[in-house]
Amino acid sequence: MIEYPEIDRYASLDSPLHRFDPRAKLIAFLSLIFSIVLVPDLKVAFIGLLFAVFMLILSRIPLTFVFHYLEWVAIFILSFFVILIFTFPGEEIARFYLLSITAEGLYTGSLITVRAFSALILIFPMIGTMRFDTTIKALYRLRVPGSLVQMLMFTYRYIFVLMDEFQSIWTAMESRGFQLRSNFYALSTIGKALGMLFVRSYERAERVYQAMCSRGYTGNPRTLVEFDIRMKDYLLAVSIMGFAVSLHIASFTGVI
Amino acid sequence: MVHISDGILSLPVLAAGWAITAVLIAVALWWSKRKGSIAEEIPKLSVMTAAFFVASLVHIAVGPTSVHLILCGLVGIMLGILAYPAIFIGLLLQAFLFGHGGVTVLGVNTVDMGIPALVAYGIFKAGNKLTPSKSMTSKASILGALAGGIAVALAVSLTAGMLYTLGEEYAWAIKALILYHIPIIVIEAIIAGSVVAFLARVKPELIGG
Repeated sequence: MIEYPEIDRYASLDSPLHRFDPRAKLIAFLSLIFSIVLVPDLKVAFIGLLFAVFMLILSRIPLTFVFHYLEWVAIFILSFFVILIFTFPGEEIARFYLLSITAEGLYTGSLITVRAFSALILIFPMIGTMRFDTTIKALYRLRVPGSLVQMLMFTYRYIFVLMDEFQSIWTAMESRGFQLRSNFYALSTIGKALGMLFVRSYERAERVYQAMCSRGYTGNPRTLVEFDIRMKDYLLAVSIMGFAVSLHIASFTGVI
Repeated sequence: MVHISDGILSLPVLAAGWAITAVLIAVALWWSKRKGSIAEEIPKLSVMTAAFFVASLVHIAVGPTSVHLILCGLVGIMLGILAYPAIFIGLLLQAFLFGHGGVTVLGVNTVDMGIPALVAYGIFKAGNKLTPSKSMTSKASILGALAGGIAVALAVSLTAGMLYTLGEEYAWAIKALILYHIPIIVIEAIIAGSVVAFLARVKPELIGG
């Protein structure tokens, strides 16, 4: 019923982005994402999208994997696009029976879609090129508060455990003949199943905490990973961030 | 699925979302540190956050589409003030692992779902105080449904409000968003009521923060 979130399935490939220092990679790509989502010009945003696709190809992550991941979100963004092109007020450029497409709607809708897809695609070269626990450690080394980093670490760890837990509750329900429909009975039964998941999780949390305390947990994150940042990492980060800044210079001066 | 995607909102709204979220997380963590060590809270809070993350993956067919559960009211009822950092972590993982929502809108989305969670907690607490010692289960179920439904309605309204900052041109998109979420509000209210009634019978210490 539910699939494991395996964004880092291809973390063991080898590419310039896999070899990129995790901290520099996060900073560089986050600046790029923030830059692209704020670009006010469609042509410049489109260049941003091309750069995102280039980064994706450079990362050597298989495209089928990316498409599979983006399916759900793509439906959401595209329906927003369709609503906007038909409802945005402005100059009419095409007509289907009662509905009309406006030039402003098409421009704004495309701008939002291009920016949204660029940001989505950049997640893969940023997060998909290293193991997720490396990402979390890099965030810690980047001075994200320790308590948040720890929550992120444990939550990520327990998602997989609890997915299995819920799957077994679900299998038990289905084997007794339960069918998922949107009626009152089915919904209140799902409520009870979720309640059971929360009870089991809570009891597990107690045991986890006691086990951690007995191994010397004091509330401070510990990490053994060592990062080694080199000249090439600085160069790559600076060029990605330079590209991020130049997108705004280009749209501000209207060069493109 | 009251997620706003990356690339829609303007810089001032994004910045305001991050600022509000940073302040509320700091306040929530400081508040729970005041009562004792945070070391005890973190592992427990994380396991519960993971449980909510898994629960939100359940999808239910509504007409031609299917919807994911939001559960922000339930997070508030069960985790209290700490619901806010829990929702932040949950949304961060959804953005990173599934591409739901986005990285730049994380602050805004946490406001949209976290504040309703805190409101649901308030409603549940106040309701418990106002109606002392009637039949526990039915009271819990009504209060849970009420808080759960109001929380989702509020989350949708906040999301609509964020989109409204873009201008009047988005009126129809906002109407579509609200219309899409009306059945979800009903579904969430039923499920929240059922979960809270179940927990009131089985594990009462889990509800009420």
